[in-house]
Amino acid sequence: MKHRENSGQILLIAAFIMASLLLSAQIYILDVGKTTSETETDSLYEYIITIKLGSEHVVTGSLANITNGGQTSILADNLQRWSDFVGAQYRFGKNVLNYTLEENALYSAGIWTHWGISTFGVSSAYASFTYQLSDREVELDQTYPINVTTKLLVRSTYQTLAGNEKQVNVTVNVSNEANPALAKQITIYYRRTETWLAADVTSNYTFVDYGNGTYRARFQADIPSDTVEVSAHVVDQREIYVRANATSTRV
Amino acid sequence: MFDRKGQIRIIEAFLAVGVIFSALLISFTFPASPDLAKQKSLAQVGMQALMKLDTNGTLANLVEGQDWTAIKESLDILLPIGVAFNLTVYDENRQQVNLQPIRNSNLLGHESVSVQYICATRNQVVQLFLLRLQLAWTT
Repeated sequence: MKHRENSGQILLIAAFIMASLLLSAQIYILDVGKTTSETETDSLYEYIITIKLGSEHVVTGSLANITNGGQTSILADNLQRWSDFVGAQYRFGKNVLNYTLEENALYSAGIWTHWGISTFGVSSAYASFTYQLSDREVELDQTYPINVTTKLLVRSTYQTLAGNEKQVNVTVNVSNEANPALAKQITIYYRRTETWLAADVTSNYTFVDYGNGTYRARFQADIPSDTVEVSAHVVDQREIYVRANATSTRV
Repeated sequence: MFDRKGQIRIIEAFLAVGVIFSALLISFTFPASPDLAKQKSLAQVGMQALMKLDTNGTLANLVEGQDWTAIKESLDILLPIGVAFNLTVYDENRQQVNLQPIRNSNLLGHESVSVQYICATRNQVVQLFLLRLQLAWTT
């Protein structure tokens, strides 16, 4: 008789248990589902900057390779890889990245290296890019050039001390894209008869880094000729190699 | 007496149905879709952090050197406090490069957003990578 009187309460308790089970199951599903229902939300503007940045890195890396003894064709090979890589990304629509290597009096296959006897040296790569994006909602056609240039300027003076002993001053200026840049490595050479010798093994060799892309080397060496020729070999922070020769001015 | 008992049973049964019905109602009113505006801003924060790291080629060089700890520490600094992340790195052939996870905490149970970033090393041997950064607010 007692059991019959409590059956309604048991029904209510059972309903409460079912309700809490339903709610907790729903909360669990919602919580776990959050990570699986993640969305991809990039902005087109930032995506284009990313492509430009990558293009610049590819050109820089290729120039570093070429100036350190690599084949000139590496620039075209790397850019083709980059174009294919960008084209394989289906972000916002169909991506097409085309490139053209600069061809003019200075550049050949996008590369210009001038490591002659004048006081300046240049290692440069130049490519023009066309990025096209097409989708139902977006239609974009953007052209941008990438020019990576490391330039070196060498100036030198000397004075005769005694006999063939000469004190030589060499000032080196390094720039990246016309802005002063730091070098990773600088080696100064001087010419003695037909041989180029490293200046840093001479006596009294001093080297000053002014921290603004200007470097100054001073050394004493036995140079029989009155024409003192020096050479600076530089590897910049981007691993791009450049060199330039200069004839010292007597002071 | 018998009639009154019957009425109470009916009321109790209605109450039970009401409890279950309200539980169902509450469960359906939970937010099913995440806040898109909030996610978009989080995606932008993530994208900008990767771009900042990539400006001078640091990001791709760290990936190439498989210095996952340095990448994690850099993202810890660049991302706001309270953002959980998980970075996965793929090479040019879409093979996963990082064998260990690059993350600051577990994303499970958080509304996450994902951004994809392509980058290239600027070393003499150019390598290309695809980065997938998952982000979530933990606070």
